[in-house]
Amino acid sequence: MTDREEVLSRVRSALAPLGRREALPDFEAGLCLPDGLSAVGGPEETFVERLRSVNGEAVAGPAALAVRLRAGGWTRGYCDPELWPGLAPHFGPDFSVETEFDLARIDDYSFGITRAAGAIAETGTIILDDAGTSRRLAALAPWVHVAAVPRSRIFATLAEGLGALGRDSNVIWVTGPSKTADVEGILIEGVHGPGVQIALLL
Amino acid sequence: MRSSEPVARAGRVQLMATCLCDAFYDDVAAATVQVLEHLGCEVEFPAGQTCCGQPAFNAGDWPASRRVVRHAVRTFRGDAPIIVPSGSCAAMLFHGALLEFEGEPDRPEVEALGRRVRELGDFIVNGLGVKSWPGRYERTVAFHRSCHTRGTESSPAAAALLRSIQGLRLVDFEEGEQCCGFGGTFSVGFPNISSSMGNLKLGHVRAARPDALVSGDMSCLMHLGGLAEKAGEPLPMFHLAQVLRDALANGGLLP
Amino acid sequence: MKFQPIDQAAAALGAEKRAAVQAGSKAGHEKRTKLLFEHYSDPDRLRRLAGEIKQHAIENLDSYLPAAEARLLANGAKVHWAATAGDACAAVLGILRSRGATKLVKAKTMVSEEIELAAFLEKHGIECLETDLGEFIVQLDGDHPSHIIKPILHKNRRQIAESFERHGLGTYDDTPEEITRRARRFLRHKYLEADAGLTGANFVVAESGRIVVVTNEGNSRFCLAATRCHIVLAGIEKIVPRDRDLGPLLNLLARSGTAQQLTVYTEFISGPRSPSQPDGPDEMHVIFVDNGRSEVLAGDCRDILRCIRCGACLNVCPVYRQAGGHAYRSVYPGPVGAVLSPLMLGGRFSEKADLPKASSLCGACNEVCPVNIPIPDLLLRLRARAQREGISSPGVPPFGAWSVLASRPAAWRAALIAGRAIDHIPTRLLPVPALRAWENTRTLPPWRGGEFRRWWEKRRKR
Repeated sequence: MTDREEVLSRVRSALAPLGRREALPDFEAGLCLPDGLSAVGGPEETFVERLRSVNGEAVAGPAALAVRLRAGGWTRGYCDPELWPGLAPHFGPDFSVETEFDLARIDDYSFGITRAAGAIAETGTIILDDAGTSRRLAALAPWVHVAAVPRSRIFATLAEGLGALGRDSNVIWVTGPSKTADVEGILIEGVHGPGVQIALLL
Repeated sequence: MRSSEPVARAGRVQLMATCLCDAFYDDVAAATVQVLEHLGCEVEFPAGQTCCGQPAFNAGDWPASRRVVRHAVRTFRGDAPIIVPSGSCAAMLFHGALLEFEGEPDRPEVEALGRRVRELGDFIVNGLGVKSWPGRYERTVAFHRSCHTRGTESSPAAAALLRSIQGLRLVDFEEGEQCCGFGGTFSVGFPNISSSMGNLKLGHVRAARPDALVSGDMSCLMHLGGLAEKAGEPLPMFHLAQVLRDALANGGLLP
Repeated sequence: MKFQPIDQAAAALGAEKRAAVQAGSKAGHEKRTKLLFEHYSDPDRLRRLAGEIKQHAIENLDSYLPAAEARLLANGAKVHWAATAGDACAAVLGILRSRGATKLVKAKTMVSEEIELAAFLEKHGIECLETDLGEFIVQLDGDHPSHIIKPILHKNRRQIAESFERHGLGTYDDTPEEITRRARRFLRHKYLEADAGLTGANFVVAESGRIVVVTNEGNSRFCLAATRCHIVLAGIEKIVPRDRDLGPLLNLLARSGTAQQLTVYTEFISGPRSPSQPDGPDEMHVIFVDNGRSEVLAGDCRDILRCIRCGACLNVCPVYRQAGGHAYRSVYPGPVGAVLSPLMLGGRFSEKADLPKASSLCGACNEVCPVNIPIPDLLLRLRARAQREGISSPGVPPFGAWSVLASRPAAWRAALIAGRAIDHIPTRLLPVPALRAWENTRTLPPWRGGEFRRWWEKRRKR
């Protein structure tokens, strides 16, 4: 007997004596909505507020992004070549931005700018997927990740986000910068993933 | 857990005194009688009663426990409510017994018994609809909620009654939801953990500086009281029934 | 008098460790409760719904497992099955060997601890590196995790800094930021050198063939961005029927475990990388692991398979807070472990039959469980099983004779009177071990047997 046959036959015999099996509950998506968390406005305002509450940042356009990166001292980075033409005019000569991610110099990029597939207002989440992310590592390895979020794709609720998962094989919900509390329960940001998570609203 | 239904009016009730009160806390059982009579109940005490079967149930000796529960079914005949001054004995009969009687031919009788059982505080507030208690009790009191009342109406009921008593000041203490550490045979099988839990609880209680600790379960108080006394720092402890009865007595309302 | 192992472990737990465990657990519980009740007016309703979803899933695994497999295959993943821990290890090794892989980076998965994967792989020449910060530190020390979510709950910064220095990660520095930075730098390049990445699965959605992995650190993302082969270890009970069923579960998981609305990263992985994506695995392998779960499914404690590994029950449990995780001698400690660990031993149940007794049955675990598992009921069932199998229990008195006494009213009443002798016999001479044990730390109240009945009779006669 193969392992598959063995496991499945054990499962079948384990469940065979069950007279009545628990039914799959039908439920309104609204039941999961945290009713103690009120939206502060439309999806975009709520998204920005929630993103901030998880220590993420939102910037409203390319000029604001350049100002923020400069203020952080992050002037060497990577940008998705599809996004760069729209951003380049706002980035001064003090920036050094590449549109090809050189793996051999992974530690040289202080920021990575990639496209997001959308966002979720209820949780302050940025949605990434394989189709929209030019390189997974560009969205992950640098200290700063900038996700370009299309305003038209901000979902109001987590349930809607689930409904939009689609067929992409690697959808990632990013809710703030990476962190750990393993050392004495003290919160530290920037573990393996980015220590700064920015949403660029477009 | 189950919800508490109101009873139309006080009538005939049967008292389940509990084995602990039978052995150690006769005044708690007596106070329960006096309180129930004050409320207009006609109290019957089936003399053949012994125990609810919980100690053996918790230890896993279900055949032994079932023998005792069956005796309780025989002893408490009829359909009058069965009032018990213990959340843990009540829970044994309306929840625990159902587990150990799965597949047993007399499960329906056991279930029927369980449906009649009411913990004292729950019976007074939710059964009879009594929202405030007369008399006087001039003390600062901390109330310990026993774990078996989790998910029931008993503890909010008891706290509400206590708060309503003239002169009584109810104080909160930290980590009120944490277990006192008694747990039946757990207290002797796991003495280190049980005592540490109890001492942790006592520390929180003392920090609130009450004159007395009150609970709806003597099992918890036997453990906490025993720890406090062994350490040479006794703290007065009373059952809810005793406080209610004493309030009546102080108010000249006891015959 | 013989005592219970977990009680002895509690007594032996050093003050430093106990303080760390208590503070960490208490903080975890309080933050979880505050957030849940801030966000939801009726969290219990959501917990009950999540419980029903998981119970339905496990009671229908016979149809959901093949459905999940079919979906995963259609998505381009490969599916393996492992009946035992050994089979699971062999499956992982087989996949690595098929790719000539010698270096594996792994994200946190309890199943890998169950099957003792790291030791197995090392024995077969595969370098297996833990990437979750807590697990990385545990691996460095050759220690064991003491909590399923916070593996180094029992360690403080000083101990970690000393360990880092011993293992060449720089001179002693015990600031948490520096500890984290050093781990980040060290592990970054290990990801890129690795041939394969291994993760667990918090959920497996049958309808869509999605593996859901939740983390805060970004280590699993790195495993899936830097390597070309993804291996998933999934217990067969991880099944969830539909994408939409993740709603209640995701809303409760992070709130219950780490007091977050969502963990930083929630990954939905349904196959190898998309053709247009340069980074990521060319192959995805999902290994469905049984390792005793089907036997649990067959018994009367199957509800424990609902567990979504949040750790909330550990945080609230007063026994866990006193004894610490290592006292349970198992991969799964705390309330969930007290049920799951002995059950997963199958025929060797007796080796851990003491775990279900290490509980005062307070019920706090069930109150916080995001899938509403009736843990105290399950502990009681396991105690009954231990009794039936004749497994002895140190410190717990036998009840056969007591039950006879308690079903004979005349004998009972006589015993109430006879019990007065207790007050006159020194404790150490009492012929009841339980009473002697009681009086080690507590006084006994004065014996009042027969007094209430006398009061009642006197009153009735009036």
